[in-house]
Amino acid sequence: MSSLSGLKYFVPVVLGKAVRALAKIRGGGSAFPGYVTTKLAPRFLEDVTGQFRHGIVYVLGSNGKSTTTHMLTGVLRGHGLKVFTNPSGANLPQGIASSILAESSLLGRLDADIGVLEVDEAFALEFAATVPPSTVLVLNTQVDQLYRFYETERVADMMLDTAQQAKLHIVTNREDPYLSKIARRYGAGDAATGPDITYFGASDEVIANAPHGLFNATDYRDADLAPESHAALAELVATDRTGASIVVGGESIDVVLPAKGLHYGIDAAAAIATAAIILGDDFDPACAAGAFAAMKPAYGRGELLAITNRDGGDEKVEFVMFKNAASLQLNLDALPEPPEQVLFAIDEGTPDISWIYDIDFAALDHIDVITGAKAWQIALRLEHDGMTIGAVEPDLRKAIDLMRSMPKPRTGMKTWIVNYEIMMLARKQIGFLELENQR
Amino acid sequence: MSAMMPMPFLPDSSVTIVQLYPEELGVAGDRGNVMAVRERLARAGVTVSVAEHRVGDSFRSDADLVLVGNGPLSAIRNVYDDLQTVAPELRTIIGDGVPVFAYGAGAELLGHDLALLDGTRLAGLDIFPFHAKRVTKRKVGYVIVDTPLGQVVGFEDNASLWELDSDATAFGTLVAGGGNGDGTHEGVVLGPSIATQVGGPALPLNPLLTDALIRSIASRRGFDYEPGAAHADLDRYATRAREVISANAKHVFSRI
Ligand SMILES: [Zn+2]
Repeated sequence: MSSLSGLKYFVPVVLGKAVRALAKIRGGGSAFPGYVTTKLAPRFLEDVTGQFRHGIVYVLGSNGKSTTTHMLTGVLRGHGLKVFTNPSGANLPQGIASSILAESSLLGRLDADIGVLEVDEAFALEFAATVPPSTVLVLNTQVDQLYRFYETERVADMMLDTAQQAKLHIVTNREDPYLSKIARRYGAGDAATGPDITYFGASDEVIANAPHGLFNATDYRDADLAPESHAALAELVATDRTGASIVVGGESIDVVLPAKGLHYGIDAAAAIATAAIILGDDFDPACAAGAFAAMKPAYGRGELLAITNRDGGDEKVEFVMFKNAASLQLNLDALPEPPEQVLFAIDEGTPDISWIYDIDFAALDHIDVITGAKAWQIALRLEHDGMTIGAVEPDLRKAIDLMRSMPKPRTGMKTWIVNYEIMMLARKQIGFLELENQR
Repeated sequence: MSAMMPMPFLPDSSVTIVQLYPEELGVAGDRGNVMAVRERLARAGVTVSVAEHRVGDSFRSDADLVLVGNGPLSAIRNVYDDLQTVAPELRTIIGDGVPVFAYGAGAELLGHDLALLDGTRLAGLDIFPFHAKRVTKRKVGYVIVDTPLGQVVGFEDNASLWELDSDATAFGTLVAGGGNGDGTHEGVVLGPSIATQVGGPALPLNPLLTDALIRSIASRRGFDYEPGAAHADLDRYATRAREVISANAKHVFSRI
């Protein structure tokens, strides 16, 4: 922990905050203020976060970073900790720097016990040199954004390399073929020099009941393609429509999940395992369960938003948001029954959608409106399954009007299955202003 | 079953599509190519069976079409020995006029060789007349190619240069995107077979291409194939998807 000599950060912080205030007035980007401050005071971030009693936790993974960061933050707060966290999706280094700056005093102090940061895989190793993590939680390696990462094993290595920067704890997924082998990176019996390694996972029964498995990438570079076997500190043993049962340290906790889906149950096990290893004897299963019960849904995951239909009647929109093949399939698998009124949308925010041909759409019996720039490509995919398609309307505004013009569904709820960018646009169009994404 | 006997046309005889290594070489929605051929044949009343060839399987020498797709280097190394094992049978059916549609890394394994960034070189099966070389510059985005069959559109995502033999025929002329890397051509053809970097996947998006493959199956097997009313929705959606891709083809997607 480094000492702070009074006014050393006064000027950089004031300047950074001034730039931030200006950027807010102009409605501009949020990354630049962090850039200004860190240029003027390169050790600012390390010094500020170095004051946290429990250090910094990185949350990495192909899928579920925002949700798990949200859950872990909630569980730690439920134990009375002051938690600093970055806004959902603001996971690039300059964005994180800006959010640290925003919460810092003029003297470069931030009143928190721990920081929980969602960090983009591609920048995490580099960022660890600036803001060293005490704990690194790695969720999963899935075939994702190949246009960005080229090969899945490359992103696996980025995350494994970052995990090894953890000073105290590595927490990772026992069910993931790449991640479950992280201990092989340490010499046998050399536990004293490295961080400890903790696993979370799902029971054999839960995995066997998953219609399409967990979607973790196969480790083709190893003779053993499958995950390595380990004991899990937190294990998902059951999920139902509203929650999950997780066994931690021999005790079963029932948690309420923000949205339906096996992946949310595993994210919850990851958050609980991480909280348990950080808090040690202070971890309290009842506190953790209480925290999940009190949690609001993370932005766009399981949120129900009010919408008025053509008759002025009140309805709800349930957003089912996906970022890649894995999250779409796991979300579809979690639908209790085929939704009555369905909008499905992808735009150019997801450049390569070839993977939609690998998705099993059996959970849907029809789609009412397909929209977004990729609408015709989606319709083409679904026509190969003989899916009943109501309308293809690439213009989102018109597509939303079509959904509003439908009679009120029996459930009172319309289901909009959308990529991240469409979720942001659609929220705005039905009157929900962009939030500051607070957790 | 015997490749030596001329096969009489039976109205109820089915067409067999073989997909090579669907897990390892199937990361680019390559099942979509299988699906497109199967669905267009099925809508023409032809019975189709799809056989997935995995490491260790005996090769289906009754294949009417062979499809192979894209995968990472580690996956290539996993299937490499098995591919050498099936190579003689694969060469035999190709010699008998069975078409192959090969995309990405799967295509590169069927060329002369593949040079990797670390300087090593993997020998290919020498079926398609080109050398592939992995490079650092990546081509990502929509791609448009004029071919003798018509305009083909799709999504490309690779960091490879393909150098064609001097007497080889390219698949087509590049209209947008990166293609083979020389900025002018894309892919390579060998009789009815195609090796390409056009993904998306290519066959659902390009019915003219799919129909050309099907026609070569049909003429070899002795049946007529003509898309009809049952294909109208597939064709309509493909047409509209292609229009949007052509309009958006100037996008180059890169984030890092
Ligand atoms: Zn409906």
